[in-house]
Amino acid sequence: MNTACYTPESTIIAGVNVHLHDTGDVNEDVKGLVSSAEDYTTVGNPFVESPRMKCREVSVDYSGKRAVFGVSLDIARNEVIAMIGPSGCGKSTFLRCLNRMNDTIPGCTVSGSITLDGMDIYDRKVDVVPLRAMVGMVFQKPNPFPKSIYDNIAYGPRIHGLAGSRSELDALVEDSLRKAGLWDEVKDQLDKPGTMLSGGQQQRLCIARTIAVSPEVILMDEPCSALDPIATARVEELIEELRDNYSIVIVTHSMQQAARVSQRTAYFHMGWLVEVGETDQIFTNPRHKLTENYITGRFG
Amino acid sequence: MFHTLSRLFCLSVAVTGLLSWSQFSFAAERDYISIVGSSTVYPFATVVAETFGRTTHFKTPKIESTGSGGGLKLFCEGVSLNTPDITNASRRIKKSEFDRCRANGVKEIVEVKIGYDGIVIANSIKAPRMKLTRRDIFLALAKNVPDPSGAERLVPNPYRTWKDVNPSLPAEKIEVLGPPPTSGTRDAFVELAMEGGAKTFPWIKTMKKKNKHHYKEICHTLREDGAYIEAGENDNLIVQKLEANPHRLGIFGFSFLDQNSDMIQGSLVDGVAPEFEAIADGSYPISRPLFFYVKKAHVGKVPGIPEYLREFTAEKTWGPDGYLADRGLIPMPDREREKFRHDALNLVPLEGI
Amino acid sequence: MNSTRITEKNTSELVRKGLKRRYRAERRFRFMGIAALCISVLFLVILFGSIISKGYSAFFQWKVRLNVFVDPARMDVDNLASADYAGAVKAALRREFPEIRKRREKRLLYRIVSIGASYQLRDMVMRDSSIIGSTVSFWAPLDDDVDIYLKGAYGKGSGRLKPLQVRIIEKFRQEGRIKKVFNTTFFTAGDSRDPELAGIRGAVTGSFYTLLVTLLLSFPIGVAAAVYLEEFARPGRWSDIIEVNINNLAAVPSIIFGLLGLAIFLNLFGLPRSSTLVGGLVLTLMTLPTIIIASRAALKSVPPSIREAALGVGASRMQTVFHHVLPLALPGMLTGTIIGMAQALGETAPLPMIGMVAFVADIPHGMTDPSAVLPVQIYLWADSPERAFVEKTSGAIMVLLAFLMAMNGTAVYLRKKFERKW
Repeated sequence: MNTACYTPESTIIAGVNVHLHDTGDVNEDVKGLVSSAEDYTTVGNPFVESPRMKCREVSVDYSGKRAVFGVSLDIARNEVIAMIGPSGCGKSTFLRCLNRMNDTIPGCTVSGSITLDGMDIYDRKVDVVPLRAMVGMVFQKPNPFPKSIYDNIAYGPRIHGLAGSRSELDALVEDSLRKAGLWDEVKDQLDKPGTMLSGGQQQRLCIARTIAVSPEVILMDEPCSALDPIATARVEELIEELRDNYSIVIVTHSMQQAARVSQRTAYFHMGWLVEVGETDQIFTNPRHKLTENYITGRFG
Repeated sequence: MFHTLSRLFCLSVAVTGLLSWSQFSFAAERDYISIVGSSTVYPFATVVAETFGRTTHFKTPKIESTGSGGGLKLFCEGVSLNTPDITNASRRIKKSEFDRCRANGVKEIVEVKIGYDGIVIANSIKAPRMKLTRRDIFLALAKNVPDPSGAERLVPNPYRTWKDVNPSLPAEKIEVLGPPPTSGTRDAFVELAMEGGAKTFPWIKTMKKKNKHHYKEICHTLREDGAYIEAGENDNLIVQKLEANPHRLGIFGFSFLDQNSDMIQGSLVDGVAPEFEAIADGSYPISRPLFFYVKKAHVGKVPGIPEYLREFTAEKTWGPDGYLADRGLIPMPDREREKFRHDALNLVPLEGI
Repeated sequence: MNSTRITEKNTSELVRKGLKRRYRAERRFRFMGIAALCISVLFLVILFGSIISKGYSAFFQWKVRLNVFVDPARMDVDNLASADYAGAVKAALRREFPEIRKRREKRLLYRIVSIGASYQLRDMVMRDSSIIGSTVSFWAPLDDDVDIYLKGAYGKGSGRLKPLQVRIIEKFRQEGRIKKVFNTTFFTAGDSRDPELAGIRGAVTGSFYTLLVTLLLSFPIGVAAAVYLEEFARPGRWSDIIEVNINNLAAVPSIIFGLLGLAIFLNLFGLPRSSTLVGGLVLTLMTLPTIIIASRAALKSVPPSIREAALGVGASRMQTVFHHVLPLALPGMLTGTIIGMAQALGETAPLPMIGMVAFVADIPHGMTDPSAVLPVQIYLWADSPERAFVEKTSGAIMVLLAFLMAMNGTAVYLRKKFERKW
């Protein structure tokens, strides 16, 4: 891994007045901020015990231009991990590696390894179709199919053959909508088009659609950026509930949201995973200069 | 929804395949007569074909309007059933065309002359009738004309009005609407009217023997300074334009004058009016023979050819009182009709040109 | 520099001055737009006005009531198809006007009634031979010259009609034996050189078969090509070359496709000349680029979020395209196809090459039968010497325009109906 030089002067060069914190954790030989603005080495422990997904040295290139630099990160079971960072920092790109959505982008190559329950998802033998069923995704803008609410949910189970009969499918749809907290609102209008719901409902519909194929991990790419505060609150509540059954990786621009919903937070900068740790620690006691700059609002 | 869609897609692909297969299963066989050729003969041949189709058990022949040259080109392509059986022409087959036919295996061609078509120079009935000579026509429309001073040389056409050409004509601007060079009517017009006018100058006439190429160029090149206006192949259009502008003259086939005699009148040429009888007896100078040619090799292979020839050469068809005369075809004299009827019914092939 | 003049005080004044100029420019632009619109509407009105005023009379026809004695002497019972029906009709006319004796005048008399009368009589006898020996009364079409005279095409004059003929017609009129009826022949008959017997059914049938071939070939091929290029093909030099060539093909003059059709379908494959099959194939070549381009645009307009959504729940590329993208792009594709079809319906340029500018009296019964198509029929009639074809030409143009409007209307309807907002 490319490690930028650590120089004490760089703090001064950056010209930023920083508070010193006792980290008392890794890298104990350094007091206060462990890294300067020039050092992109990951601070904090990116690894967990018995992770659901393991990412090692993941790099992404777009036609020769590197967008993600050697990220190593574990995703634990039943946790919500938030990815934050300024625009263009590579967090969405990294997220899309986790269910190989980047495959659809021409000229995009991924190196390193990502495993899901011990299976290398970039292995040649792996079929992306079941993979994407296991690692579901919710997008920035609610994107229900222009079909009925019922068909929106039933589509995934249908193509994967998850329901043997009509009644099974009905039950699956109801269960998914219940889990997404949408059942009571839409149970009488399942044949109405999904696109006529409000933005927040649409996003929950998309979450329900993802749940319907019983994934293990749910990736959320800024799921609330197009929603109003009330709808956002509702989705956040839902994320909290879903944690019981799924691992959730959420990319967000809202630090408050990250603080509210996640247990761990990863901070990305310029394609590097700069810091990762418990959410409380990241927001109260960042150990990387860049993280601190970001969460205190100096840039980003 | 998507299943029906993909099924629909498969279905159309299947139909496509079926279609392309059926193409090749089409046998080279034809149960109707295929005719091509001149657009001048087209109005007459189609009437015969229709009557033939209605009064016999044969199918109505298909007639394409391709022009005389285009028709002969198709006709001479060979003897396979993909080629036409008959081609119409508003001129006689040329030596080069005849040779090409022979080279392609079309050895026996039956020539049938069907009558004459007068080319008229007409204007609106709102204007006085013109009395022209072929010399007037030549002087008014040729690109280069003999020097008005009398010297034996050519000068670019200086005439602006008809009065400039001939003092007895009105002082109207020369404006003549006529067919483009691709038209058979144009060929006949330059050959009969222009050349006829040019020949009245003895020094040009002698040139015919000495320098045929130059002679043709003098006779056949029409003015390009706006006095001659190419009005397209559609003769109806010319008739309408004459109606709108009485000062103009137009050149087209006799049948169009015949049909529109309430709007236009034919100019006298060399003192003769373009009337049915005058064209029939040859006294009207600008008329041309019309022909069709039959591929003898197809007789017996395509049903109905002898019967079609019988219909075409019947007195009730091409005779002086026949239905083609009603359509504006000028019939041949009795003896000529007799000869061509005999040739047609006995399929006497053309020996040479 | 001017900027020195701009001070806080006069900024708003300058803006106000500029504002006036801006409004003027806007008004001027709007006026020009309206003027342009008015001019095009005017041309349209003139076009339609002239076509309709000339053509509406084609939908009517004058008929005369004839009482014809079906003379057993003229009817050969063994060969009823070629009995002397024309003679029977002529005899009936002679009986009505015994004072006309001269041969020339008799010919004028015969020419009042269309040759169609004898065909009509033949059909009646063929249907029911028991009428032989009796007198039948039926409405027969009048000759085209008489028809347009009665319709007033000659104004006050009598055109090609001779005074004797006018007298005869007026006598019929006084007796109430002529009437104007809807011209069903125009819609049920094939082409004919007798304007009063000519109809557009052959041409409409020909156009139908031609478009059927074109649709069945160009829609699946065009859509498949567009889907492949848009959804599956890797971008690169090859797909660029293909794209450039498709766009070029869309701009190639259609006569080139006629030449291509002549070389390939007629000369190489030996398909029948003048057939709707070959016509359809040639028009397929012509409409394919239009359909591919429209279909690709329709596919492009499907938002990527739909593809992502489908891929996100684990649909394969193919499922994504067929289950989600294609149904959403279909209205756009159909619109493009219909517009391509409308283009093909009105196209004539490539047809002379493959022999479709032809007189075909029989109505085609299959794709290998010779046939004309509507625009060709219009062209042929416009070129005919007979005056009565003027109204037939305009009538056929009206029918063609009606078809085009219906097709384009369908395209607009589809677009409106399936228009979706994301």
